[in-house]
Amino acid sequence: MSTQRPDVCVIGSGPGGAMVASRLARAGAKVLVLEEGGHYTKEQFDMQEATAYPRLYQDRGNRATADLSIAVLQGRAVGGGTVVNWTTSFRTPDDVLAYWREHEGLALTPATLQPHFEEVEQRLHIAKVDLDDCNPNNRAIYDGCKKLGWQVDTTRRNVKGCLRTGYCGMGCPVDAKQSAALTYLPDAIKAGAELRPDSRAETIEWTGRRAVAVTGRDFRVEPRVVAVSGGALNSPALLLRSGIDHGPVGRKTWLHPTVALGAYYGERIEGFYGAPQSIASHHFARRPEGAGFFIEAAPVHPMLAAIAAPGFGAPLRAQMSLLPFLCATIALMIDGFDESEPGGTVTLRPDGGPKLDYPLGARHYECFRAAMKAVAQLHLANGAREIRTSHVAQVRITSEGDLARIDAAPMGPNLFGLFTAHQMGGCRMGTDPSRSVVNPQLRHHLLENLFVVDGSVFPTGLGVNPMESIYGLASWAAEHVKAALS
Amino acid sequence: MPSVVQTAFERFGRWYIGRMAGSRRGLLEKTLGGAALLALAGAVPLALRKTRLQAPAKPLQFFTPAEYSIWAAVAGRVLTDAPPHVEVAEKADAFLALLSENDARDMKRLLALFDNALYSFLRGGPPRPFTQMTPEEQDARLLAWQSSRIAIERSGFQALKRLSSAVYFGDPATYASVGYPGPPTELVRSALLR
Repeated sequence: MSTQRPDVCVIGSGPGGAMVASRLARAGAKVLVLEEGGHYTKEQFDMQEATAYPRLYQDRGNRATADLSIAVLQGRAVGGGTVVNWTTSFRTPDDVLAYWREHEGLALTPATLQPHFEEVEQRLHIAKVDLDDCNPNNRAIYDGCKKLGWQVDTTRRNVKGCLRTGYCGMGCPVDAKQSAALTYLPDAIKAGAELRPDSRAETIEWTGRRAVAVTGRDFRVEPRVVAVSGGALNSPALLLRSGIDHGPVGRKTWLHPTVALGAYYGERIEGFYGAPQSIASHHFARRPEGAGFFIEAAPVHPMLAAIAAPGFGAPLRAQMSLLPFLCATIALMIDGFDESEPGGTVTLRPDGGPKLDYPLGARHYECFRAAMKAVAQLHLANGAREIRTSHVAQVRITSEGDLARIDAAPMGPNLFGLFTAHQMGGCRMGTDPSRSVVNPQLRHHLLENLFVVDGSVFPTGLGVNPMESIYGLASWAAEHVKAALS
Repeated sequence: MPSVVQTAFERFGRWYIGRMAGSRRGLLEKTLGGAALLALAGAVPLALRKTRLQAPAKPLQFFTPAEYSIWAAVAGRVLTDAPPHVEVAEKADAFLALLSENDARDMKRLLALFDNALYSFLRGGPPRPFTQMTPEEQDARLLAWQSSRIAIERSGFQALKRLSSAVYFGDPATYASVGYPGPPTELVRSALLR
């Protein structure tokens, strides 16, 4: 087994790892990027769910909380989640940064991050979607919200020459999506970085206050600086496997836990085609009654739809037969803004992978019920024939009078469908080592040459899709990683 | 009204699961805190009632013949009237062959518990393995697990239902049945040629 001795070993090639690798390589550092997933290109993206989920997602598409109550969609490939996400791009909201400053002692402001976001938006061709380019699955949300006077807008997407095929979640077959695999990773490689796919970092060896080596099944790396960018769930698991368990490693993991509803229309929607996400409503992001939520669309392909649909047998097949008429709308709970919320906890499975527990409580159920009602309301306003929930005891809604039945439907783990496509926290940043794993510059509180640069450092959920926030934060943090080399 | 035996059995299950909660668990181990339930069940002849075997269309990689038959029986009810050429259980077998050792063990335990006649009886069902039940009894069993008061049964149901329906509806041979025309391969091909 050979030993490599780069200046920086970056573990993970998603938005955090790709960005920090690019910045440091271009600054002249010798960078090695380790990625546990494979390196796939557009020729291999065949737009088939049966191929894409096992190949491009964690645990072959089967990742979930330990009790299986929340399905976890999380990328696993060169480029990480940016290869399979739905391209929605938001800057970190100002009020989220303010909350972090107030509660965690961070200095991040919108002005601090602005130049980083501007650079990211230029590099990734992030641009606002034209309303006329939205598919009916998204347009229904827009029209319904408008009819109710709710805030709603088109999103911004990181695409160039998009054909709007609808298959972002299975890897873009025409390289329109500007993933990290097509942007910051090639930038890093062009500047001399080495990318090593199919290379899972098993442990980080450390002594005293320094990380000394990163080891895997067939490699050993002895860098001067380690940047952990495995993403929420995998980064805390790596630290735990390595005995770097100081502070709340794995705790306060946030998921934007997401409920999905199906709205059935009289005309064909064909939500399998068109940009999967191009509309978002943050009308309910701040709610005095409890946790906020935001509303977006989800792509409609048979496998995901079948997993999300409750029931089995003839009712399942009957519901699936209506697929072309289905609008799939999701509501994402904004978790992490109530000090009493425990959030999720990552520990280790026997095989060393992350085991995620995410307890649901009254705050969640109140939010989910309100979110389901809101989604149903907007589709009723837009003329849907029927809205169906994902409860095991499915609630079918055809009029405003049916909304109250959502309150009566049993709620609990595996009594209704929940999933997450946004994993955050677990290695949170902050000034207090008892509340955080890394300091405000993303340096580990104990190990002076170890940084965590990914979505796991977020102290709370974001209330928006996290990709651009991870890029922006990593761009800002790269200067601190670079300083550790000198 | 649950019988005394059923209540005691559930209490034992909850105690065991609580005990397991402090130990290391795999993906389905919580579902199968039931390993002990199974061991208990195995102590009596009722638990020895045999799985009704079905013949796989392909050599098995993950399942034993009995496990294959249990899976095929479950998939047969989850996906009523599924055409046999889709080979749901065979595809699940190939998928599961790549599971980690721990997850594989848990899945096998789940299938064993699901087909255990004593467990069925103690939970108020027929004293037969799932594979020996009538279709109506099988549906009742799936319904009971789907909305059970016992969390491990609900998660066990979801594990079986999600994977069998994902395998089935992810197969291009089923696209027409749900009105899905399939991916726009021509659009992509022509764009790549430009």
